[in-house]
Amino acid sequence: MKRGRGMSQIPVTVLTGYLGAGKTTLLNRILSENHGKKYAVIVNEYGEEGIDGALIVGADEEVYEMNNGCICCTVRGDLIRVISGLMKRASTFDGILIETTGLADPAPVAQTFFADEDVASKTKLDSVVAVVDAKHLLLSLKNAKEAENQIAFADVILLNKADLVGAGDLAHIESSIRNINRYAKIIRTTRCNAPLDKILGLGSFDLNEILKRDPDFLKGEEEPHHHECGEHCCCGHHHHEHDCESRHDSSISSVSLISSNPLDPAKFEQWIMDLRAKKGPDLLRYKGILDLMGSDNRLVIQGVHMMMDGTNRLPWNEGERRASRLVFIGRNLDEKALREDFARCAA
Amino acid sequence: MISAAYNQWNFNLPVLSLCVNRNGDFVAATLGDGTARVLPASDEAVTPKVVAMHDGISLSLQPDADDHAFLSGGDDGKVLILDPVLGETNVIAEVKNTWIDHVAASVDGKYRAFNAGKNIHVLNEEGQEVFDPGLSVSGTPGAVSFSPNGKRLAVSHYNGVTLWWVGAKKPEAETLEWKGAHLGLVWTPDGQTLLSGMQEGALHGWQLADKKEMRMEGYASKIRSMGFTARGKYLATSGAEQVICWPFSGGGPWGKQPLMLGGAEGRLVSCVAPHPKDEMVAAGYNDGMIILAPLDGRMEVMINPPEGSPINGLVWNATGDALFASSESGRVLLFTIGSVKSALVHAG
Repeated sequence: MKRGRGMSQIPVTVLTGYLGAGKTTLLNRILSENHGKKYAVIVNEYGEEGIDGALIVGADEEVYEMNNGCICCTVRGDLIRVISGLMKRASTFDGILIETTGLADPAPVAQTFFADEDVASKTKLDSVVAVVDAKHLLLSLKNAKEAENQIAFADVILLNKADLVGAGDLAHIESSIRNINRYAKIIRTTRCNAPLDKILGLGSFDLNEILKRDPDFLKGEEEPHHHECGEHCCCGHHHHEHDCESRHDSSISSVSLISSNPLDPAKFEQWIMDLRAKKGPDLLRYKGILDLMGSDNRLVIQGVHMMMDGTNRLPWNEGERRASRLVFIGRNLDEKALREDFARCAA
Repeated sequence: MISAAYNQWNFNLPVLSLCVNRNGDFVAATLGDGTARVLPASDEAVTPKVVAMHDGISLSLQPDADDHAFLSGGDDGKVLILDPVLGETNVIAEVKNTWIDHVAASVDGKYRAFNAGKNIHVLNEEGQEVFDPGLSVSGTPGAVSFSPNGKRLAVSHYNGVTLWWVGAKKPEAETLEWKGAHLGLVWTPDGQTLLSGMQEGALHGWQLADKKEMRMEGYASKIRSMGFTARGKYLATSGAEQVICWPFSGGGPWGKQPLMLGGAEGRLVSCVAPHPKDEMVAAGYNDGMIILAPLDGRMEVMINPPEGSPINGLVWNATGDALFASSESGRVLLFTIGSVKSALVHAG
């Protein structure tokens, strides 16, 4: 499939979160703040009206199973239709925001950007932002798979209404989030008061951007757990990630694999293909930068379930430390097997 | 090679759709700023008419039930008729706060149909709704299409295609099921078989009398464009490196190999337009190349070089002596028999 990657792709930000968590507050902030940018917003209700120059478009949540009913090869038909329509306009946007309902599965939303050729050629998924209610998150995580999925898929998590929860509880909530997704950026907020440049235009799905922002991505096994605070956050910057394994009752976890030896391209391809075929439904998100034997370009891959995109090849910079790093967030991940199998891919 | 175009216009705005009216004497192109440009479908040297259409953009442009006009649906919720001679529009329906994704008009001129979300509206010649309550489908439509005799309406959607008899007092929906998202629709000229292009780069078809199904796979992309060649012999389709033509004469396509015309590695056919009379297909590619490919095995002729922008529209006029092409970047090209011949002589 040929894709016009690069210049004219419009960044798309996906907002997930339960009703009442603060998504609408965030949306209104994005639309009303004076940033001189034009956004189109796709919401889950019909109706189209402008708010401060933004275009609001309604979309029904329509999940399409592809490949003759494969339940994990799903895309959102409504988003294909609306995004294709928006991209036909001569006056384009600086960005598109997609608001999803609290019950929506983020996987089909993300997969739409890999699987539909029209959407993939004209737009790029910038980041998935989850707005969570600090007061209710732990209960939601216990009771609902959707809440877990939203955390697992997120690049940025706004721990909103942080003012309503004590500092000790916040730390506990954060460690619960970390157990599911070690790699998301958590921002404590009150009324979603995070700086917009921490939410929009991140390039979270673009690992080249990640390397720019986090040059250590390919280095240590355990990267620091980013913690960023909103304006009115009063946290003590103490992290309590060490003792959480024992209280971890979620089946979702994150695994990070690193290899400083170049990988054998054939072995790696076979492994990742088998893994996707066998464990696809359990793999929620994965991304990586790979140093393949015999290639001067780094291969950047990203995937959701069985769908993977590995087209983004750029040369290693001169003097850059070459290594491979692969991150999985998923259900029932067998960390030991993943490590062993990945190690066997070394050339 | 240089283009064999007789004339060309650069509108500097994305062309969304290119359409010829039923009389085959006018061509309209809708643009990304909500306007249309109208041209006579001949080599007459005139300045294209600029017509304001929608407060947004046109999402669907089709030949109207009135043979000389065009029918358009827009993201402003309006359905309108474009008169190419007057250069004026007339709004015939409006559904507030929704997009009109698809419009269609029957060849016999009796009906017009459009969708607003999952609701399907059918209008009679007087512009009145034919059915009350209206029709609806289970998912957002991929296309709305009348059978060649105008008696049936088909709407494609997720997991199937739904049909109605538009002359019936009480509309009864009949759904042909097949898993997956169904997009564009095409009928065989005899109206006996209906085919849909699918999200996954495949075609699915139903012979309506006995519900016998057909499935054609192996496309590299969605099939955005398809059409029957003269006398209905082949269904020409886009979506692969070559123009894939499925044989429909002598018992249908079952168990037969398609004709594969033109083609070059690394580019995909984005648009096809079978010639209205001769056994020949015009095809445009996603890199701007345009070819004329005869169906009888003779070599295809390149009439426009790969210039970059994908070809997204190709239409012949009624007599088949003028071919119009549009590119996403905003150009409309006119090829005439004369301009193609002279370019060929020139190229030796």
